[in-house]
Amino acid sequence: MRIRINHTISILFTLMLVAGVLSSATAQSSDYEIQQDFRAEYEELVSWVDNAVSSSDLNEISDRIDGFEEVYTEHASLINSAIFPDTFGARMSDLRSRYTAAVQNIETIEQLNERVEELAGEVEQQRARLDELNAQADQLLADIQQSEANEERLSVLVAQYRQNIEAKDEFVSGVLQQLLQRYQSLDSSVMAELSEASEQLDDNPLDIIRTILAEYINQTDQVSGLEAPDYLRMKTQHNYFRDIWDRIGENVSQVFASDRSVQAEQEVTDLLNQWDSSIDNKLWSALTTAFNQNEITLNEFNSSTTFYNSLEAYVGEATAVSREVNSEEDFENFRNFSGYWNGIVKSQWGEYLTKGEVLTFDQISSIDRQLEEWNQAASPTSNLMLILFLVSIAVIIGLVVMLVSKK
Amino acid sequence: MVQNKRTALITGVVLLLLTAACGPSLVIQGVDYAQPVESVLIPGDDQTVHDQRYAIRFSIAPLLAEEGVDSVDEIRLIRNSSGYYFVTAAGFTNVYVMNAAESELQLQATIEISGSGLGNPAFNQRGDHIELVDLASGNVYRMNEEELL
Repeated sequence: MRIRINHTISILFTLMLVAGVLSSATAQSSDYEIQQDFRAEYEELVSWVDNAVSSSDLNEISDRIDGFEEVYTEHASLINSAIFPDTFGARMSDLRSRYTAAVQNIETIEQLNERVEELAGEVEQQRARLDELNAQADQLLADIQQSEANEERLSVLVAQYRQNIEAKDEFVSGVLQQLLQRYQSLDSSVMAELSEASEQLDDNPLDIIRTILAEYINQTDQVSGLEAPDYLRMKTQHNYFRDIWDRIGENVSQVFASDRSVQAEQEVTDLLNQWDSSIDNKLWSALTTAFNQNEITLNEFNSSTTFYNSLEAYVGEATAVSREVNSEEDFENFRNFSGYWNGIVKSQWGEYLTKGEVLTFDQISSIDRQLEEWNQAASPTSNLMLILFLVSIAVIIGLVVMLVSKK
Repeated sequence: MVQNKRTALITGVVLLLLTAACGPSLVIQGVDYAQPVESVLIPGDDQTVHDQRYAIRFSIAPLLAEEGVDSVDEIRLIRNSSGYYFVTAAGFTNVYVMNAAESELQLQATIEISGSGLGNPAFNQRGDHIELVDLASGNVYRMNEEELL
């Protein structure tokens, strides 16, 4: 429709110019009409320039401005008189300035449109992948709940659910990395432009973030059968998410919820807090269970601090007992804890523990040092020297007896 | 007595001559009154036209009466370099050349153009003369404040 209107306007304008040229050529024209036509056509061109919405519009208008100038240049003196104190030259200069500004504006608009299309495509892909992962998770969750009686099947389903979580984490990390690259540092003008452009989107990254967090919370609350490393992984993912959000939250909220950015940012922060609480509800009991299953009974804990305190207390108390008793059983306890600590906790969970801020590197090092002390205290004391001493005494006594008996 | 009257009379005449000699005598020559583009003016209900750009307001009722018409949609007005106003309108048979005087326009010349009346007249300023174009017929007329050229 718009193209047809433009086409019609284009034809009319051309006819007007041709009519102007013809009338001036015959010299039977009215100066009054020439200047009136000039004013009308000028206003029309200004309107077209100001309302142009595409590069093709502007290409047409550029030709029209050239034609307009060519037709009226010969009447410049008349027009100067008629529009005094303005001048023909000033009007043409103004028209070309407007045109240049319009070119820049339209370039910006077209770039923004491209970005919007690109963004819409990305969001659509993200939404589709997220929906796919969520659907898989929901199905697995339903299967797990139905198969609780069948341990073997349950184990397989939980393993599949774990894979689903890992796939989702990987996908979400990719989305977050993309958001970080795009929105971490934006100047205010780009943010304003993006914000305006984002109004054309049905779905936007902020919606995706909220959906992801809601699903994470649901996943953490609903599923049973996961173990300590699963929750440690969630904790790590949560911390990564929070770190990225701290860096881009303000910008993303301003771009995609410009009219309520503070509220939108707080909503996501609240969801992150809710997710963290959900993880904590499962993590501490899962860690307790994991240690218990390896015959390590820790004091009760419900936070990173109390978890470390429990570990420290366990090792400290065991070291004290070993120093006092130094029994074979103590040494066995040490070997059990050391094996679990080094073989599982540090080697398999170490990355999650630190990235999830469950234990710091310093805390792990501190437990290592205390474990060394426990090792020394628990190691069985050697009787070799005593035996050698007794043997030496016996040999000496034997030699003395032999010498005396020979005499 | 007669001597006194004569003296008073001579004194009076001298004073009158002195007063006349001291009156305004400054004249600026070569003034160009040319209006570059004609004014197209729409009469009001009282048959008055007002040209805001060139600051003149007058009634066209005498011109209408002269032409024998009740009204016109618009009149065309232009001033030549000598300062004479040229007035006509669609349907007029003449161009009226008017000279500006104190609070009045005095008819300088009536230039007959067309017995059947002008179709769509337009004035153009053309240096030493005024050009009248009848856009309806295509006829072009050249004139000064006195006559067709």
